[in-house]
Amino acid sequence: MAARSRMTNEHQASPEIVAAVFHAASISDTMAILTVEAVGRTLRVSWSNDKAVQLLGYARDDLRALPVDQLLPSLAAGELKLLLRRERSARMTLPVRTATGASVECVVAAAPAPAGRLWTLRLFSTATETERALRATADAHERRFATLTERSPVPTLLSEQGMRLAHVNDAFCALVGLQAEELLGTGWMTTVHPDDLDAVIEEAAAVLGGGGEVGEGEATARLVRADGTERTTVIRFSHLFTPGVGAGFVGTIEDITERMAFEARLAHQANHDPLTGLPNRTLLAQHVAERFRPGDGQLACIFLDLDNFKVVNDSLGHAAGDQLLVELARRLRTTVRPGDLVARFGGDEFVVVCQAVVEADAVALAERIAEALRRPVSLGGVEVRPAASVGVTVQTAEHTAAEELIRDCDIAMYQAKAAGKGRITVLDSDARAQARDKLRLVAELREAIDRREITLMYQPIFSTEDGTAVAVESLARWQHPVRGAITPSTFVPLAEESGLVSGLGLLVLDETCRQLAEWDQELGMAAPARANVNVSALQLDANLRGHVESALRRHGLHPCRLSIEITESALMKDPATARRVLLELRDLGVQVSIDDFGTGYSSLAYLRHLPVDCLKVDRSFVAELADGHSEITSAVIALASSLGLCTVAEGVETLEQAAELARLGATYLQGFSLAAPLTGDDAAAWFAAQHAMEA
Amino acid sequence: MTPPAAPSLALAPTFDLERVLASIDRMSAQRPVAAHIVAQTNSEQASARELSRILAADVALASRVMKLANSAFYGMRGRVTSLQFAVTVVGFATVRTMATVALTDLDDESRLPEDFWEVSTSLALAASTLAPRFAERPQDALCLGLLAQLGVALLHHNDPVGYAELWAEDRSFAGRRSGEVQRYGISALRLTSVALEQWSFPPGMVVPLKQVDDPGSFQGALLRAAFEIAARLTDDGHQEIPIEAVSCGQLRERDVVGVLDQVRLDAEELRAAMLD
Repeated sequence: MAARSRMTNEHQASPEIVAAVFHAASISDTMAILTVEAVGRTLRVSWSNDKAVQLLGYARDDLRALPVDQLLPSLAAGELKLLLRRERSARMTLPVRTATGASVECVVAAAPAPAGRLWTLRLFSTATETERALRATADAHERRFATLTERSPVPTLLSEQGMRLAHVNDAFCALVGLQAEELLGTGWMTTVHPDDLDAVIEEAAAVLGGGGEVGEGEATARLVRADGTERTTVIRFSHLFTPGVGAGFVGTIEDITERMAFEARLAHQANHDPLTGLPNRTLLAQHVAERFRPGDGQLACIFLDLDNFKVVNDSLGHAAGDQLLVELARRLRTTVRPGDLVARFGGDEFVVVCQAVVEADAVALAERIAEALRRPVSLGGVEVRPAASVGVTVQTAEHTAAEELIRDCDIAMYQAKAAGKGRITVLDSDARAQARDKLRLVAELREAIDRREITLMYQPIFSTEDGTAVAVESLARWQHPVRGAITPSTFVPLAEESGLVSGLGLLVLDETCRQLAEWDQELGMAAPARANVNVSALQLDANLRGHVESALRRHGLHPCRLSIEITESALMKDPATARRVLLELRDLGVQVSIDDFGTGYSSLAYLRHLPVDCLKVDRSFVAELADGHSEITSAVIALASSLGLCTVAEGVETLEQAAELARLGATYLQGFSLAAPLTGDDAAAWFAAQHAMEA
Repeated sequence: MTPPAAPSLALAPTFDLERVLASIDRMSAQRPVAAHIVAQTNSEQASARELSRILAADVALASRVMKLANSAFYGMRGRVTSLQFAVTVVGFATVRTMATVALTDLDDESRLPEDFWEVSTSLALAASTLAPRFAERPQDALCLGLLAQLGVALLHHNDPVGYAELWAEDRSFAGRRSGEVQRYGISALRLTSVALEQWSFPPGMVVPLKQVDDPGSFQGALLRAAFEIAARLTDDGHQEIPIEAVSCGQLRERDVVGVLDQVRLDAEELRAAMLD
């Protein structure tokens, strides 16, 4: 009750306050105020302040008694009641007609007087000049932005609510081949491939839900055009917050169809052979690796190597060779079962990979393939009958990795080729065991070289002139801890096949030099004058001189202490390179000998131009001496003599042979009957003893 | 019809416009949360967090907003899991519209004329779909369409029998408006505009309601066109009015075909999201 009385008192202002407020209202220059009264059945203006007179443009007297409906023409008959309410204030935005007949948009607030027959109207013009200018600027900005977006070549979406689009530009319409009206709202979502739609919504939802750093996102999606074709796109979303509206997004679309196609082409090129279009070795490895399950036993590989392909290339030219490969690739593709992979493994090698087969199936397929390949091909008018050596491997429990499968069928193919070409060989467990054993041996050889477990024996070489030992030949020996002694004829080719020959050669060279230096120190004048070191064909390159030079330097030896032995066949593999390397060695001061002379096919004319000091007569010719056949040995010695070269006869088994060779004019002799290969220490003792005897 | 010279002459003896308008104020007391949201006049500064905080107090209203946000209409496929996110997805104006629907009992179909919501959702979707052609925001147009018939509900609430007769008697837009003015001295859409203005809805929603009857008014054109489309979809006996005429030349008949299909497709979904 007390509160109510206080409120009443507060509203009952003193006459002075009322007068002050009225005065302020009447002279206000910001607010137009009118009073309206019901006069009979008409509502008329009964009073107005200066600002109202100014705003409405009437003379004060004209304004007084003006019917209100003339001021507010937009309120239809009866609608004045909506504004001039008896019990509460009301506010409407209305056009107010001025004296000139022009309209001013105003917020009209009407407050009823307690008696219910008089209202006070306050008019606020809604648009000042500044506001109008600001709105015009904002509108211009909006239009510029709209124009920019509309004409942008980048397909653009604009959502103001969830996934509902308020705007799409022409570029997007063109991209999907639909009209904007069909795309607005959620219509555009029908253009997203159904399989990609979830990802698009997911990304858009994340962007809609967050501003700041998480306000951006992108999704790759296929868009289905009106004509049914598909475009692959990246849709990039940016969070868009419109004050007073909510969250939307701007989506820009990059059409990556061409780029994807290009990348796919590149990927295809990287994984396919350009000539035949078949998958290449990379894709083959990937294909097998993806399908290989250890112990599953479901995969089979068929390895094909064309027989005599080199003949076609050499005789009919590379174009014909290519034509043959293309044709055979086509036959392979059409012969294999659906789902089988045909790959070009190398030059004339192909691999077929099959799944879910047993050995009999794989062999049957290999036979079908071999049959298909055997059909004649006409190359430039010449009929060629292709054939292939085929290796087959079916996955077993022993295969622990995918590459073993391919390696095994490669081995099988080599076995087929070795057995006489045009055959099909299935890799059996013995062959696999042999192959694996060989692999193990290679690993062990590598270790033996690294640990310098390859030792050297030294076989003395005698002069026929006075019967003294003038040199030694270094002979590599491998004493395997389990397998026992392994001969050079086994491990040297193994080293050559597996890339270990360089390491092995360096070991022999270094150890020989070391031993020579040790003998020099130990024996002085009694030490062997020279050591012969064998060099593999694979070592005949530009690095050989450097290696020899550094070994000599390392052990403080003169180059004349070494003789490099190279087999005749090694020299003939690449005569030009061989000559260059031998010249370098000779320049260095090292002697050069041709080993096993007479067993190869040397051109004698060529031999004349080689910088060689010595020929070694092969032991097979020396052995013939025992049967009374001295012709070849005699001829080789004579030939060397005529070219000014010395000779070493190898494999001298008897004293009679030695005497005969001396008679024929051989310079040096080497053989078991004269002296067996010795260890370094034994050789030291042997040479010391020899020297003592000579003295 | 000759307009009456004074307001009192136009009113039916049983109808007191003052009472109807006063009833709007009373509604606030019954749904305070909805009233609070409706009163968020300065929506420019309203944040989704603030709006969702208020909204959370009215479980029924909040769940409708969630449902709407996840409806096919917004294409979010159930990814809206928080109320705040729902508010940002449907937009502040839509939240306010839904609050208005709750506040004025528009969600109680038993108190509304038959097919009220069928017409309202068609109207809203048509307005939203056509909005870009009139340089209007689809969201605002959707809200305008949803609330345009608020006056119909108010008249029906106050005069259920009389208004139901009027509604049934003439299904045409012009006929109903004319009948309303005749009976109540004010058309339902005008009444809507008064109510929305009273709640300080932006002029963009009020002006079209005021000018929808003026065939020359561009600002009323979108709503007029939307009413024409809604009528074509909901009234089998509708006498079509050329769309060029009602849209101030903004639309051609060929533009309407796609809109009709789209609206027909979405209307039931929107109605279910709004009311069920």
